[in-house]
Amino acid sequence: MVNITEKIIEISKKSLLNKEVDAILGWKKGDLWWDSYPVEVSELEEVDSLIWDMFCVNNLSKFLMKERTTNRKIGVFLKGCDAMAFNQLLKDNRVKRSNITIYGIPCDGMIDSEKVKKAVKNKRVLSVSEKDGECLIKTKDSEVSIEKNEIKFDKCLTCVFPNPVVYDELLCEKIEITNKKEDRFVGVKELEAMTPNQRYEFWKSEFSRCIRCNACRDICPACNCVKCIFDNENSDILGKAKNESEDSFFHLVRAYHVAGRCVDCGECGRVCPEGIPLELLNRKIINDLNGLYGEFDAGSDSTTDAPLVSFNLEDKDSFTEKGGR
Amino acid sequence: MSINEKEILDKDEEFKPLIVAFCCNWCSYAGADLAGTSRLNYPANVKIVRVPCSCRVNLNFVLRAFQNGADGVVIAGCHPGDCHYSTGNYYTRRRFSLITNLTEYLGIEKERLKVDWISAAEANKFATVMNGILEDVYKLGPNKKMRDERW
Repeated sequence: MVNITEKIIEISKKSLLNKEVDAILGWKKGDLWWDSYPVEVSELEEVDSLIWDMFCVNNLSKFLMKERTTNRKIGVFLKGCDAMAFNQLLKDNRVKRSNITIYGIPCDGMIDSEKVKKAVKNKRVLSVSEKDGECLIKTKDSEVSIEKNEIKFDKCLTCVFPNPVVYDELLCEKIEITNKKEDRFVGVKELEAMTPNQRYEFWKSEFSRCIRCNACRDICPACNCVKCIFDNENSDILGKAKNESEDSFFHLVRAYHVAGRCVDCGECGRVCPEGIPLELLNRKIINDLNGLYGEFDAGSDSTTDAPLVSFNLEDKDSFTEKGGR
Repeated sequence: MSINEKEILDKDEEFKPLIVAFCCNWCSYAGADLAGTSRLNYPANVKIVRVPCSCRVNLNFVLRAFQNGADGVVIAGCHPGDCHYSTGNYYTRRRFSLITNLTEYLGIEKERLKVDWISAAEANKFATVMNGILEDVYKLGPNKKMRDERW
């Protein structure tokens, strides 16, 4: 961990000095142990404050969207999932590849501060450090050693793209991929096995907690429209009422709008303040697309057509008796 | 309450399914027309919305119909390969393969959302599809899922 921080500082200094980039996007440490927040650095003196630790979960690639019009050269640090997001933005014409320098960081998972708090029974945490898959949590009067997998984000536990798929420079060696792609769909299969009424009750109770803060949309790298239909008061898409009907409407439409473009980074579920398992909706769509129109990982490259903007004459369908044959 | 009044009330309370059918202008709408001129019976509960192409229909349309009182929704378009705009219904096929699965995943019964290909000559198929969904929806009863209670 420490040497990646050093490398980040070294590379940033070098690139800024050489005028390869006008600004660097990275992370900085806040006041609290879990707080590593995104920053833009353009002055050489500020570079020393950049860090890399187990809490750099924020995706920096969506910040590149506003650079589309500025024509500045930006250096950005991207993890595996962030690089997938970057590819998706590239495909959607939201970033200019020639203006961006990507420093890839293979990442073996970020740590969920809520899980850490739970592990030490809400005692005040002073620091968290990692060594060989074990994490040491220091509190005021005790030290707890715990396996890293137990305090990782849920989305990191099923990660299948830990290594950046697109980069100009790689900061450390690539990580071996251990997770299987099918394992992501366990939750989806469980839901599919229920009866329609059970499923509806499940979603009803989940969606009823929605406060319509739009965090899931704002964080999503596939939700990159300049103006979202949910923000357009005249679109007559969604009212402001908070009821079961409108909540389900919002979440289905949100999931469907990123169909075929969702990179399965799991950010929507992570940022949801109410803990709604939004990845279950996205993964259902991904699973269906894989089954019907062939394996497709949005964001794994920036050239192949997404399944919903292309077609085959011999496609199957899921609604007629013969399945479209 | 007199017996007569009660009878009238009961009659009113009998479940009359409301089906919204999105029909493509070039095939299915003409198919509905042919069903009418051929004097084929299809239920009057079916409200037809004419759309330029089946790929004009999106998830918003379907969900809005369910919100505002539909018990069943039909999307009908030209057979794949026969689209007036050459490729429209190929997109419909992919989109609605997802959408039918997605609404089922939410918990709306599969029978309530039907997608089918009906050409301008298939008046019989039009009547069969509409009678079929009406029967299915009647068995399931009124749709309460996703219904906007304010309406």
